[in-house]
Amino acid sequence: MSPSFEQQVLDLLPRLRRFATGLAGNAADGDDLCQMCVERALANRRKWQEGTRLDSWMYRIMRNLWIDEARARSRRSQTFVAEEAGLSVGGDGAQEAAVELGNVDRAMQQLPDDQREAVLLVMVEGYAYKEAAEIVGCPVGTLNSRLVRGRDALLSLLEDAA
Amino acid sequence: MTPISKEELAAWADGQIDGSRADEIADIVEADPGLIAEVRAHYALKDKLAAHFAPIADAPVPDRLTALLNKQQEAEVVDFAAARVQREEKRRIPRWTYFTGPALAATLALAVFLPRGAETLADSDPALAMALDSQLVADQDTGGETRVLLSFVNDQDQYCRAFSQPERTGIACRDDSGWALQLEVAGNRQPGTEFRQAGAAEILAAAQDMATGPALTAEQEAAAREAGWQ
Repeated sequence: MSPSFEQQVLDLLPRLRRFATGLAGNAADGDDLCQMCVERALANRRKWQEGTRLDSWMYRIMRNLWIDEARARSRRSQTFVAEEAGLSVGGDGAQEAAVELGNVDRAMQQLPDDQREAVLLVMVEGYAYKEAAEIVGCPVGTLNSRLVRGRDALLSLLEDAA
Repeated sequence: MTPISKEELAAWADGQIDGSRADEIADIVEADPGLIAEVRAHYALKDKLAAHFAPIADAPVPDRLTALLNKQQEAEVVDFAAARVQREEKRRIPRWTYFTGPALAATLALAVFLPRGAETLADSDPALAMALDSQLVADQDTGGETRVLLSFVNDQDQYCRAFSQPERTGIACRDDSGWALQLEVAGNRQPGTEFRQAGAAEILAAAQDMATGPALTAEQEAAAREAGWQ
């Protein structure tokens, strides 16, 4: 008997957390994202077709959740930009947070979302370009060029930091 | 030899290119220190990122995440059959149940769904044709022979109505010549507390397949009747 859906998702959780942390930029937001992803997957489990790859399916859910979240965040920040900018002036919270983040995290956060996810899927999660493109929902060539742009940006950011 | 783009070089380094082109690239890279450096930088970054994120995947998963799944698993063991029935019904009975639930609950199917050639009801069953013309879902005599369960529009832009009678449940659509029966499930309505939905689920599933949008609201239905269902 093949392992249950829940067991298969449990087995994927360590990898899902890694991807979520990479997308979100820190472990706490990553775990929130991961939780949303698991909840969404459980609610939509009938849409997953047995025999297809559960990992790709879950990564796609997570990635879509993150994109939605990022859009909502950018709308919020556009609306409240004046207030937030005002609050951060003279406050040291943001600086502290930046110091806590390692070089790699900071560099990753400077990438546009589409480049960051391409770098994570290929260089960290080890997906073939074709698989990563399917998760993201873009052509392989597009994935390839996002990966290279993200990689080059990271190389130069990390070189500057070193 | 075709020159190598940055993209192709990365793809090659990641093992995404095979066949003779891969060999060709290998030859070019070998002869070009600049390309070798680029490939090295690619691998170095990959190692760095992998090492940076590895501790997360190696760390224990927080309980709040595993709990989501363990809870589900226990529930499934305890009452797997019931959960499956529930899921099946959820899948088969679409979003319209809230709308038609009470009427459907009273329908007991005796035979599976049998598609038939369309026939015009004005000839074969004038009473049903009249009921479809006049009755609104929201406002009908529940003691009547025919109950209309819901109305919707099909992909040919025709109004269609699902109905229930003592002997059968079906769907008819209105074309230029009148109401035409699209399909029916033989069944009979059970008075009292009998609660069977087999035929109803078939009809609902069929209605959802045929419909291009949600079921008509009471207002939309009244307007459609006003327009003679055309």
